[in-house]
Amino acid sequence: MSFQMTRGRRPAALAARRPSAATPASAGAFDAGKWTAILLFLPPALLLFSLFVVVPVGEAAWYSVFNWNGFGHPTNWVGFDNFRAVFANRAFGIAVRNNLLIIAVSLLVQLPLALSLALILADRFRGAVALRMLFFMPYVLAEVAAGLIFSFVYDGDYGLLAGIFRAVGAEPPYLLASAQTSMLAILIVIVWKYFGFHMMLFIAALQGIDPSLKEAARIDGASRWQVLRYVVIPLLYPTIRLSVFFAVLGSLQLFDLVMPLTRGGPADSSQTMVSFLYTFGVMRMRVGFGSAVGVIVFVICVAFAFSYQRWVMRDE
Amino acid sequence: MSDDALSESTGFDGTRLFKVLFLAAVAVFVATPLVATVLGGFKSLGELRTNPFGLPQHWVFENYSGILTTARYWVLMRNSLIISGLTVLLTLITASMAAFVFSHIRFFGRALLLNYMTMGLLFPAATAILPLFIKVRDLGLLDSYFGVVLPQVAFGLAMSILLLRRFFKDLPDELLDAALVDGCSYVGFFRFVILPLSRPILATVGTIIFVHSWNAYLVPLVMLNTDRLYPWPLGIMVYQGEYSADWHLVLAFITLTILPTIILFFVAQKHIIAGLTSGAVKG
Amino acid sequence: MSMIWRAVAASACLALSASLAAAETTVKWLHIEINPNQVKLWEEVARDFEAKNPGVKIEMSFLENEAYKAKAPTLLQSKDRPHIIYSWAGGVLKSQVEAGVLEDITKDVADLTPKLSPAAVAAFTVNGKVYGVPYNMSQVGFMYNKELFAKAGVDGSKIATWDDLLAAVKQLKAANVTPIVVGGADKWPLHFYWTYLAVRIGGKAGFQAALKGENGGFEGETFVKSGELFKQLVDLQPFQNGFLGAKNPQAVGMFGDGKAAMMLAISSFYHTQKALAADKIGVPDDKIGWFNFPTVPGGKGEASDTLGGINGWLVTKDAPKEAVAFLKAFVSEDVQKKLAAGNYIVPTYLGADTALGSAFMRNIAKNLAASKYHQNFYDQDLGPSVGRVVNDVTAEIAGGTMTPKVAAKAIQDAYAQGN
Repeated sequence: MSFQMTRGRRPAALAARRPSAATPASAGAFDAGKWTAILLFLPPALLLFSLFVVVPVGEAAWYSVFNWNGFGHPTNWVGFDNFRAVFANRAFGIAVRNNLLIIAVSLLVQLPLALSLALILADRFRGAVALRMLFFMPYVLAEVAAGLIFSFVYDGDYGLLAGIFRAVGAEPPYLLASAQTSMLAILIVIVWKYFGFHMMLFIAALQGIDPSLKEAARIDGASRWQVLRYVVIPLLYPTIRLSVFFAVLGSLQLFDLVMPLTRGGPADSSQTMVSFLYTFGVMRMRVGFGSAVGVIVFVICVAFAFSYQRWVMRDE
Repeated sequence: MSDDALSESTGFDGTRLFKVLFLAAVAVFVATPLVATVLGGFKSLGELRTNPFGLPQHWVFENYSGILTTARYWVLMRNSLIISGLTVLLTLITASMAAFVFSHIRFFGRALLLNYMTMGLLFPAATAILPLFIKVRDLGLLDSYFGVVLPQVAFGLAMSILLLRRFFKDLPDELLDAALVDGCSYVGFFRFVILPLSRPILATVGTIIFVHSWNAYLVPLVMLNTDRLYPWPLGIMVYQGEYSADWHLVLAFITLTILPTIILFFVAQKHIIAGLTSGAVKG
Repeated sequence: MSMIWRAVAASACLALSASLAAAETTVKWLHIEINPNQVKLWEEVARDFEAKNPGVKIEMSFLENEAYKAKAPTLLQSKDRPHIIYSWAGGVLKSQVEAGVLEDITKDVADLTPKLSPAAVAAFTVNGKVYGVPYNMSQVGFMYNKELFAKAGVDGSKIATWDDLLAAVKQLKAANVTPIVVGGADKWPLHFYWTYLAVRIGGKAGFQAALKGENGGFEGETFVKSGELFKQLVDLQPFQNGFLGAKNPQAVGMFGDGKAAMMLAISSFYHTQKALAADKIGVPDDKIGWFNFPTVPGGKGEASDTLGGINGWLVTKDAPKEAVAFLKAFVSEDVQKKLAAGNYIVPTYLGADTALGSAFMRNIAKNLAASKYHQNFYDQDLGPSVGRVVNDVTAEIAGGTMTPKVAAKAIQDAYAQGN
């Protein structure tokens, strides 16, 4: 195929060298080659993207105004009833609260942890690389595996936590079985799983900082703390903003980790918006209701991304 | 041991001690669950209860060997490999072709189309999972590898195209001009010039897509119904459902299923870390 | 020489016909049975059927109970769906019929249905058409460990009323025995309490009225009171530690390990507890007891009314004819008797219950025979969505996060939404 096209365009190439050749024809041939490439190369990506990303998102909006079990075609128009039902659902309220909680922990616990570890591990010393790898490892593991590992850690009969409690002679708790503690247990896993990723972001940024900047500040008499506070951290602001962005978007979509740990229970206490969508939409094949949840999550994500990029990341 | 290394100060230093303790605490926090999982697979259920942390008093190898000798484990690995492999392959092909057009060919509507594709960065697959299910069903792709692969490719396209395009754009324009003058077609240029020059970025993008696909749970969960086709994250959940109380078996199964990831991570750690972080930053 | 060639040709011919035969029909059979002993018997039936029907292959696949329920809605929409699936009948079956994913097998099984329990066949009949073949009936009731009861000085055979049960729980707790084990994470084991209380309080009439929206529907007095009584029990903290995080197989295993005194169980757990116990022996026959769900004074239900399941197999749309043929072989007198003799099921085949091996299972069969109102599990009977809500809210009552009133209202709201 490429051979044919090569032949087709040879006159054009020659034309460029020989001004006497007819320009319109050669320009046409040149264009043809360009458009062949475009028509050959773009459609697969465009088609896949439209078919499996854009259209379903659009359809979610369409389905969300129907009461539909997925068979046949949606006909039972219910207007905004699904949205009303979502917002009136107690479990959805909990899910929203939990998502906010995850964001809060990501920002207030995970980010400072990642940053301080990065500041230590960005220096070269024996063991630094090994520790970086160790801390990054949970991020590479599948959420499902991480969730199962921690459902073992938390297990009240056989788990590690139970072992610690028994060692000190206390009654082991069942963190995942209580509505009061299930979310706390999940938050710990989230920090365990994701801080290494953010740490790596910071390390990459720190290694990009010109060391002469720090040296200059030191020569000017700044203490190590002052260098950190007034030179290094400000240089990290773009990365911090980015890290916050990922933390928030990731938090909004959390699902895989919840399933092996609690499936959103007990009593929906550890439901997230997406696990709510799965439990109440997919598992019950309530396409309209589930789509309404999807639309809500989608709008929140897009609204966040746009406003964040507009107000916070506008410098970049 | 590494006096001069941890900080520029010499001798005993409170900050240093604090750093060491801090690192040690975090290391214990990260490593303990992983180590206990691996070791737990070598214990009997009874010992797991009395000795969850330590080395096994009696090493039980049957847990692991029992899993390794059943088809179940290998079928899961094969399925995951097929799904992830196809996803990487299709993503790289479609995304690099599109990225080439977006980076080297000027045409009317290019900016618009690029923006359209970039929008995909904001679309989490989870929000449209029900319509996606119905789409895949109507295409007759439920219970097939492609029912999982195609949505995964589609959702990975936006980031892949952006990363690849950034790289392609940095290749000097003169290359293309020279090639065109020499009678090379766009297609030929892409195939014989761009692609060979882009191995590092293709590897990076491939790594990101592979890791995501290898670990994916929601899309396969919704699209696949027969364990014949299950990738390992689904299989491990089924296994846990079946042997819920037999933690020693579940732990051995977890260890064996995450083993490929961990081996891959150690073999190609530089690549994976660079890939996953750069993917995030530039995406 | 020619002999050899002939042999080669013959064997090639054989191989060819064998491969042709193998390619003929595969019947995909999806089950949820976790008891390996029973599955082994089923496999024998399948192999036997294959031997008698050359060219047919029965392919068994397994999904864990919860995973199956979660998967069923999407599973049935696949063109690659299994041909025979497990079912609890009820509203879920009805919605599947409405969705058009099942095969009407009325004519194919016309010769079998008269030989099965009429109530069981009726459960698998929707709008006059038969969609499935029932193979097992079960009763929900309290399975208890006689040894642990004796330790606390409780006599299981004397527990007749709800207050008796509460008193027994207190006594067991005082003796430091975990009174009840339950797989709360799966939710449906908790819904047994609430549902059975409603059966006792409202009787058949109460349920029928609620379906028609009379007396306040599921928000009515019967159902609020069910929640309140259930709450009385919950407030005694009768369940094992971490019960809301335990799955049913874990709970059954714990009972088998002798770690708790009672379990509100499906009668088939009598066998499952043996298979899931750590020692694979479980609580032996002479130590296992059973008492029916206690009555509620003033309740309209009869003491003989039962809550339980009617389990059967559905044939999905476009399944090969051999699927029905296999089902008929599976629910034949012979196989039913064999399963009954192993105490795995209470057979639906009339007369097969004489084969029941243990006193425990014979008692269950007797209870079921005497029952004039056999209520199917609510979570199945009320259809996929409402049923899930029933499970959700009963788990919430058990967790102390929802009042009985709000719980009843949530069910009525879901029911009124009809989804």
